[in-house]
Amino acid sequence: MFDALVTRARVKSPWVLHFDCGSCNGCDIETLACLTPMYDIERFGMINVGNPKHADVLLVTGTVNHRNKKVLQALYEEMPDPKVVIAIGACGLSGGVFRDAYNVVGGVDRVIPVDVYVPGCPARPEAIIDGVVAALGKLRQKAVPTAAGAGGNGRFHPRMKATGSS
Amino acid sequence: MKIALLTLAGLVLAPLAGGLLAGVDRKVTAWLQSRKGPPIIQPFYDLIKLFAKEKLAVNPWQVLCAWVYLMAAVFSVVLFFNQADLLLLFFVQAVGAVFLVMGALSVPSPYSQVGAQRELLQVLTYEPLLMLVFVGIYQVTGSFRISSVLDHPRPLLLELPLLYLVLTYALTIKLRKSPFDFSTSHHAHQELVRGVLTEYSGPFLGLVELAHWYETVLILGLCALFWATSVPGMAILLGATYFLELLVDNTMARMTWRWMLRYVWTVGLVLAFTNLLWLHL
Amino acid sequence: MSNLVLLLVVLPFVAAAAIYGLRAAALRSGLVMLTGGVLAVASVVLLARGLEHDFTGLPTAVLGVAWDTLITVADFALLGVILLWGLRRKSALVVLFTAAQLVLLAIFERFVLEPGPAFAPLYADSLSLILVLIISIVGSIICIYGLPYMRIHEEHLALRRSRQPEFFFYMILFLGAMNGLVLARNLLWFYFFFEVTTFCSFMLIQHDRTEEAIRNATRALWMNSLGGLAFLLGVVIAYGELGTIDMLAVVQSGSPTGVLLGALGLLAVAGFTKAAQLPFQSWLLGAMVAPTPVSALLHSSTMVKAGVYVVLRFAPAFAGTALSTGLALCGGFTFLACAALAIGQSNGKRILAYSTVSNLGLILACAGINTKAAFTAAVLLIVFHALSKGLLFLCVGSIEQEIGSRNVEDMRGLFHRMPRTAVITITGILSMLLPPFGVLVSKWLAIQAAAENIVVVTLVALGSALTVVYWARWAGLLMGSRKAGAPWESQPLLTRGALAVLCGAVVVLSLLTPVVYGELILPMFAAMPALDAAAPLEVGAGGVLGGPMGAFAVYPVFVVLVVGLLAAVLFMRRTGRTRYTHPYLSGIHVGERDAGVFRGPMNLPVTAELGNYYLATIFGEARLTRSANLAAIVLILLMMGLAMKGGVPS
Repeated sequence: MFDALVTRARVKSPWVLHFDCGSCNGCDIETLACLTPMYDIERFGMINVGNPKHADVLLVTGTVNHRNKKVLQALYEEMPDPKVVIAIGACGLSGGVFRDAYNVVGGVDRVIPVDVYVPGCPARPEAIIDGVVAALGKLRQKAVPTAAGAGGNGRFHPRMKATGSS
Repeated sequence: MKIALLTLAGLVLAPLAGGLLAGVDRKVTAWLQSRKGPPIIQPFYDLIKLFAKEKLAVNPWQVLCAWVYLMAAVFSVVLFFNQADLLLLFFVQAVGAVFLVMGALSVPSPYSQVGAQRELLQVLTYEPLLMLVFVGIYQVTGSFRISSVLDHPRPLLLELPLLYLVLTYALTIKLRKSPFDFSTSHHAHQELVRGVLTEYSGPFLGLVELAHWYETVLILGLCALFWATSVPGMAILLGATYFLELLVDNTMARMTWRWMLRYVWTVGLVLAFTNLLWLHL
Repeated sequence: MSNLVLLLVVLPFVAAAAIYGLRAAALRSGLVMLTGGVLAVASVVLLARGLEHDFTGLPTAVLGVAWDTLITVADFALLGVILLWGLRRKSALVVLFTAAQLVLLAIFERFVLEPGPAFAPLYADSLSLILVLIISIVGSIICIYGLPYMRIHEEHLALRRSRQPEFFFYMILFLGAMNGLVLARNLLWFYFFFEVTTFCSFMLIQHDRTEEAIRNATRALWMNSLGGLAFLLGVVIAYGELGTIDMLAVVQSGSPTGVLLGALGLLAVAGFTKAAQLPFQSWLLGAMVAPTPVSALLHSSTMVKAGVYVVLRFAPAFAGTALSTGLALCGGFTFLACAALAIGQSNGKRILAYSTVSNLGLILACAGINTKAAFTAAVLLIVFHALSKGLLFLCVGSIEQEIGSRNVEDMRGLFHRMPRTAVITITGILSMLLPPFGVLVSKWLAIQAAAENIVVVTLVALGSALTVVYWARWAGLLMGSRKAGAPWESQPLLTRGALAVLCGAVVVLSLLTPVVYGELILPMFAAMPALDAAAPLEVGAGGVLGGPMGAFAVYPVFVVLVVGLLAAVLFMRRTGRTRYTHPYLSGIHVGERDAGVFRGPMNLPVTAELGNYYLATIFGEARLTRSANLAAIVLILLMMGLAMKGGVPS
């Protein structure tokens, strides 16, 4: 019962950290639009926090490049478990139109594990909200068991993944 | 015996009341902003989630400080329901405030450091005002004991209306409502990331949040003392006061600490002084 | 009984002379420790023998010379020496004030003073005994702490010839003079010891003989000489009114006239100079150039306490007069102004100095409020301030010798480097501002006592809020993380012992506040009918200090807060599953976890610059000092004017 309560609480209270990896700001504007009275994501208990240490959901927009991939990794590392990652927009998914640029690493999943992909250029607010709700499903899976929260989804080693997939 | 039961009830009910109030707060705020807002029990979801998160800290001192903050807040609520000395209760409450700041200062993070400095300025601003409110209560009832306030036949509000206003300034600062939300704010996102709370995370942020609920109850309890003669009166007073807080929060912008210090001290001291003077003459 | 007095007052003078003569370091250390130990034991024995001593059986002469004559001769000799120093330092003010004292004293002794009814020149009640305990125990601990400190200090200076004999000569002499001062009943003896403390502090401040030290010492000397002059003048005028130099007779004179009130006002001003109240604070601030044991001994736990002792001693004589109200205002104002000035400081010793002046202001404000509750607050504050401040000075001294700075900004994360000292310092700081420590109990009482006077209570309320700011931020920045297996700090045994003993004493004595009050302070009120008629605070079951105005449940609060703290420590220790991470630096942190370094332009590491808000534009010395001094002067003149206008009850 306790586990069920915790899971419910986790699903009901996803605090979101939004990180712009070098987006054209299209997806960022749509993401912030979710906070407006029109979409009001706070009714799902979502709050846009400015600090990875308070976040449950990492929302990444834009292309990952060689400079900001370290920042992305660091932010991910500083989030306490359990946590989920949502990549937003064409750039976040794959690098988008910039994917062949010399400085670009590619999509978010080249650096950190991504749970949900929200396509679009830019992604629509409805799609983003939909993505977050899908992420909550992932969070529900990750959430049990509570006591071993830290071990539940393991620490991701981005370098292994990055070399493995290239 | 009655007091012991009351204390126990306070101990258990205070966080429930504080949490619910935070929920109502968010709902009404959403309503004022034409949003739907989260469910009333949202703060409890948040708290349970925080306690179930991974423990993350920069150093062990933060853990210590978060715990001491909570314990001091709980203890001050216990003292309140024990009808203890107002000054004593105030000093115990200050233990928590100081430890919260110390924990934030123990981390070399610019956000938490600046937040801590601002929090200290907030403490600096409301402390003397609260103390003068207590002095006013003493001048009316002849004692600093809460029990003597409860024995007082007339509502304090009649004799200390200006000091009640002073108390609401302290309340606004303590609740970290606009225009006084510099050190950290409830909006989860500000120019200082989250100010004094930036480096508390997971369960430790949960402790701080829980302590804040206890403190909210404590300060509202102090407000309630001003109409202690009737329960409906108390409810009306608290309801009106809190709604006013929300209105102020939603209509004001965040100001600077310089402005706060100058404005609140000037207005607060003048109001307090006027009220104390007319009691004296 | 006379043996105890001999041990407490005369022994330090003899031991000091011996220390001056002996140049061997080991002998000196032994002698200092022995003297300290004897003083401490003697003070406790004196307390154990009773709460009031009139020392009637004392021999009146030594080697055929009457003590009175001896004191008179020594007094003139001392004034002569001070005059010479004044000439040597080319300080017109010192010369002026000292010459005036010489002339006044000579006229008084030769032409005015007539043999009156005999009384024992010494006297002790609980107030004196409390001060004797502080001086003999805290003072001795500080002197012993000084042994390793001065060795390191002189290594640093690379002197050709050690100047420690002189240093410890004045330190030990000082203890004797202080004991004499608080035990004196004959006002001329009182005055003599008062002057000895002035001279000792002058010599100790200029100990390092740097240009700054000499300048500051000279300033201390002229200010304290002014105090000495005020004291002597007060004594002379009081003699003119009452025809006695018996302190007890002056205190119990009852319903003072305008002239006598003026005399008492002068005594209060003498106390102001010694306690470095505004506008005399600059000598105490300047005294911080001296080696830290001097700061700790003279300027936190003892010397300045002589100032408040003088005022507190005579306070019952003017209870309920306008002088009393004026005093409360002066004290309250100093409390507020110096707390504000402390916020603007980053130099640890200056913070301590301002805090000292500020707290002494609160003590004087209590003396001015002049009720039983206020008196209790004042005495408790004397005790706990001496312990906590003595401890903090020693801490800052140790820290300075380790990190080479007394700036609090340089003490960030001190826990990493000096874990033990950091924890003790944090305890010391918290003991100044949070319950369940004794300082807070006295502050609680002070606010209660002041609650009738709107102005004073506002000053106290503002001042104590300012106090929180400068203490809390200092305590917070001492914390930090400590790597497993980092080297444990090494400290001389005496240093470590002194810190541990004082820290323990702060904690234990805070718990024993009700006992201290019930056993030492409560009995005093029987002899002070002039104070208010209200019943004194009662000690209830479970250590509840209470009266009709309120109650402070000392034991329960202490137990709950200590248990709470211990539980928190337990939770802190059970951090097995806690993941330690970097502070949040926008995700661009690099390097050590607790270093606060981020990746800046050109991929270079940049350290995040941290600093407290010192608010120089609001609380800076440059901005506040002049106007605060001016206001203080006006307040003192007002106080004196009100006093001399006559004993109109306020």
